[in-house]
Amino acid sequence: MASSNSLPRPAPETAAPGKSESSQNHASPARPSRPARPPRPNYRLIHRFPFPVEVHPLPPLIPHNPLSLVSVLLSYLTYFISPPHQEIYSAYFDTATSSVHVTDPKAIKALWEMGFFGKGTLSRSEPSWLEREKKRRGLLGGMTSEEVTRQRRTERRELKLERARMEKLAIEERLKAEAAAREGGMMPPEQSVLSPTPNGVTDGTIPVTEKFSLRKAREARLLESQRAVSQDGSVHPPTPLGKRTPSGNKTVRFSPVVQAKEFVSDSVISSLPEKPVDRQEANEEPVLNNEEHLQLSTEEAFFLVYGLGVLRVLDDTRTDVIPTSSLLPLLCRHSYFPPRDPSVDLTPDDPFMISYVVYHHFRSLGWVVRSGVKFGVDYILYNRGPVFSHAEFAVVVVPSYSHSYWSETAERRAHSEEKMARSWWWLHCVNRVQAQVKKSLVVCYVEVPPPTSYELDTPCEGDIGAMLGRYQVREMVIRRWVPNRTRD
Amino acid sequence: MADTDEAAIHMPSQDSGMHIDTDLSDETQDFRMLNSISFLTDGSQQTLPKRGEKDFEPNPTLFQADVLSASRQAMHNALSYPRLHHPKTQVIGVFAPNGPAPPRSAQKLDTITEESEPSKPAGTGMGIHADACVYVSNPKGQYFKSIGQADRWNRVWLLPEEALYLLERGSLDIRWPCSEVGCADGDETEDSGIPMSLQAAHAAFMGRSGLTSERFSVYTGLRRLGYTIVRAPGWHDEEESADSSESEPMSLEKPQSASLVGIFNQLLQWLYRPSPTTALGPVAGLGIHRSYDNIYRSLSIIPWYDPTTSSSPPPRATAPYRVVFHIYKPSTAFKKSAPPAPDFRLAVVNARTHTTFPTSSQLGALLESTPLDPPVGEKMSRQLYMRLRHGYRNVILAVVDEGVVSYLRIADSAFGKENIYKEKNTRGNKGPWRPRPKGR
Repeated sequence: MASSNSLPRPAPETAAPGKSESSQNHASPARPSRPARPPRPNYRLIHRFPFPVEVHPLPPLIPHNPLSLVSVLLSYLTYFISPPHQEIYSAYFDTATSSVHVTDPKAIKALWEMGFFGKGTLSRSEPSWLEREKKRRGLLGGMTSEEVTRQRRTERRELKLERARMEKLAIEERLKAEAAAREGGMMPPEQSVLSPTPNGVTDGTIPVTEKFSLRKAREARLLESQRAVSQDGSVHPPTPLGKRTPSGNKTVRFSPVVQAKEFVSDSVISSLPEKPVDRQEANEEPVLNNEEHLQLSTEEAFFLVYGLGVLRVLDDTRTDVIPTSSLLPLLCRHSYFPPRDPSVDLTPDDPFMISYVVYHHFRSLGWVVRSGVKFGVDYILYNRGPVFSHAEFAVVVVPSYSHSYWSETAERRAHSEEKMARSWWWLHCVNRVQAQVKKSLVVCYVEVPPPTSYELDTPCEGDIGAMLGRYQVREMVIRRWVPNRTRD
Repeated sequence: MADTDEAAIHMPSQDSGMHIDTDLSDETQDFRMLNSISFLTDGSQQTLPKRGEKDFEPNPTLFQADVLSASRQAMHNALSYPRLHHPKTQVIGVFAPNGPAPPRSAQKLDTITEESEPSKPAGTGMGIHADACVYVSNPKGQYFKSIGQADRWNRVWLLPEEALYLLERGSLDIRWPCSEVGCADGDETEDSGIPMSLQAAHAAFMGRSGLTSERFSVYTGLRRLGYTIVRAPGWHDEEESADSSESEPMSLEKPQSASLVGIFNQLLQWLYRPSPTTALGPVAGLGIHRSYDNIYRSLSIIPWYDPTTSSSPPPRATAPYRVVFHIYKPSTAFKKSAPPAPDFRLAVVNARTHTTFPTSSQLGALLESTPLDPPVGEKMSRQLYMRLRHGYRNVILAVVDEGVVSYLRIADSAFGKENIYKEKNTRGNKGPWRPRPKGR
């Protein structure tokens, strides 16, 4: 129990091959095109702890069973004699880039697995560069998520190219038919159906043009591969194709020329993984250092230090620990670019204070908060974590200056108005993007208190908890309302 | 792994109703579908036309050119359909520039009673909205089920936006009054017989009694979609919004039923737990943690706004962030004499004069003026995401930018009321399992 950090991690990618084969056999009659998927890692087990903090629950106390009281007392006694040790991880603050880095592999693993903190500097989110690199060099089997994505994209592109080719072929055929008809002096059959009748009203039926959807192209390919199987007599595994059909019936066609160009340039990259294998055979032992480290956002780092107490942040020299009391001003100063001078006083509307209040708020409610920069927002909220579900909510942080202090002088009024201003165009932009990625937009207003020097009864700067307690957050979910859809 | 996110984009959403995938009104139409509607023959064919498929790039085939010209022809056909006004169904209204007044014949009889009242609220004395400016003596047709107010002389008085809407769609003919035209000789006939042009109607009604072009475009847009839309008490800036009286603060909090064991357990925990140190951290507390729920509880130090507790003097909603329209779905049974509670409340914002998104206090006051609409119901109690999206109060903001209306639904959703760390098995939308920290 005490060694909860070294979780037995089931090696996910080295899945038993026999198992995957059997699953393929099961699936093959129903969906022949679907390749066997390596079983997912047991995320429930890996990410069963929401925070990198150890908990030691008491044994249950059952009133009518006096023995349970003994076990409770016993557990107290055990903890009293040998108190469990809470691991404190180390990170360092880099002044030049205003970021917090974790380089210890054990700390990286713990911070990612328990609470999804940080981001691998060479990965999309989970620090997986080493694993990826090993696989790329053929040291490990299986695929990383990045590789799966790339493969999927390549397949999709290929299918689109195929579709464009088919479309082009159809156009050429039609042109030929039309030319033949012109020479022969008669209309091609489809055209006579289509052309407007003399009084201008056609018969009203919409001609069914052949639809070159991705699905069509995929089916055609499947047929082809099946034909190949029957001709050879040997069993080829069907070509792994895209796993999902495009949703909706709206298909967008692209110019075949552009597609071809894009595809060629990318296909070089996608074929790259094969080359290093040959190279690797030449020099037997590759020295593979982990070039990746975990980067924590300043909010994450401060939450781990101040909120949970499981992290200590070292300064640039990597010897001295920055105490919490001076870490907050440091991060506040670095929330501006370029970082502010230490002599400048902190203001209650420092960008770091406002974003930290929101981060802490959602973390304390149980959400896994991660940066939303990819979606044009400040944060995205996951329920339990990114490996379990898609993030439903995208949070935009907007400061609010309702306190009378901020409207006392013209200067303050101008300042707060400037900070609060968000244009309608910006909002519609963000809102449309969120609808596209199936998220709900949350505008999170943070009520900014007046500076501590303004009110006499306010606590001193040293009490961070009291300072945070003066802010207030309010969430509003904003959604496009389409009158066409709510009529019932 | 952002993979899940990316995958979600391509997958059909679990709750596609909540998201807007495609908006039909945004697309360019293939007008060939109009051919299937037979305008000139009988109206027995009631099926809606099917939508066509579109090409995205021009190609040199004759086929495509023919499709295009057929579509264009179909549109012209539809537009060239003669629109006739049958004299039987003709509705004539008369412009009353001075607001509602009794008919002249009745005025002579009622002079004694009328004199005691001042001129302006004469309309209100008749039970008619003071802003009404057109009356119809022969109300016919289905529109008057939800439009206008009848006085005791069996005339229906129309508000400026109602009159303009009916005029624009060709259901109403407005006449100038005698006083305006100057032919005051005919004392028996009410109307002068001189019809009012569309331009004159716009000039006369737009800007009258708070009717801006933004409000009018919202009104007509929703009317055309079949909604019933009436003015809300917040229409005039000076009027106190009486809507807030509807909101009754309901207490949704249930007292925690603590059993004896629970109390004892809590006492033990309280005895053991060191007091959390929020001054310099760790907020979660020092020493041994008993459960993650305790950690979450001690972490919650940020105050959040609770929409169920309304501030005692409700803040005044300032223009334009005031509810100006009450909207009823076409399916809602609407009675003019006793309008039900509206389905939606709507505020209209001109994006050119108010260029920025409203601040917290502006939106807060607007939401405070709407009644509490907590997420209740069987489905809501099961689905966390749905509950959060629904919110405790909601309002619709119509942002009008040079005639283009964009509707936004704003919901006051209290994330602080949902401790998702406590949700054991009820999940947002999918997934059967939630990890329980198992210590030993």
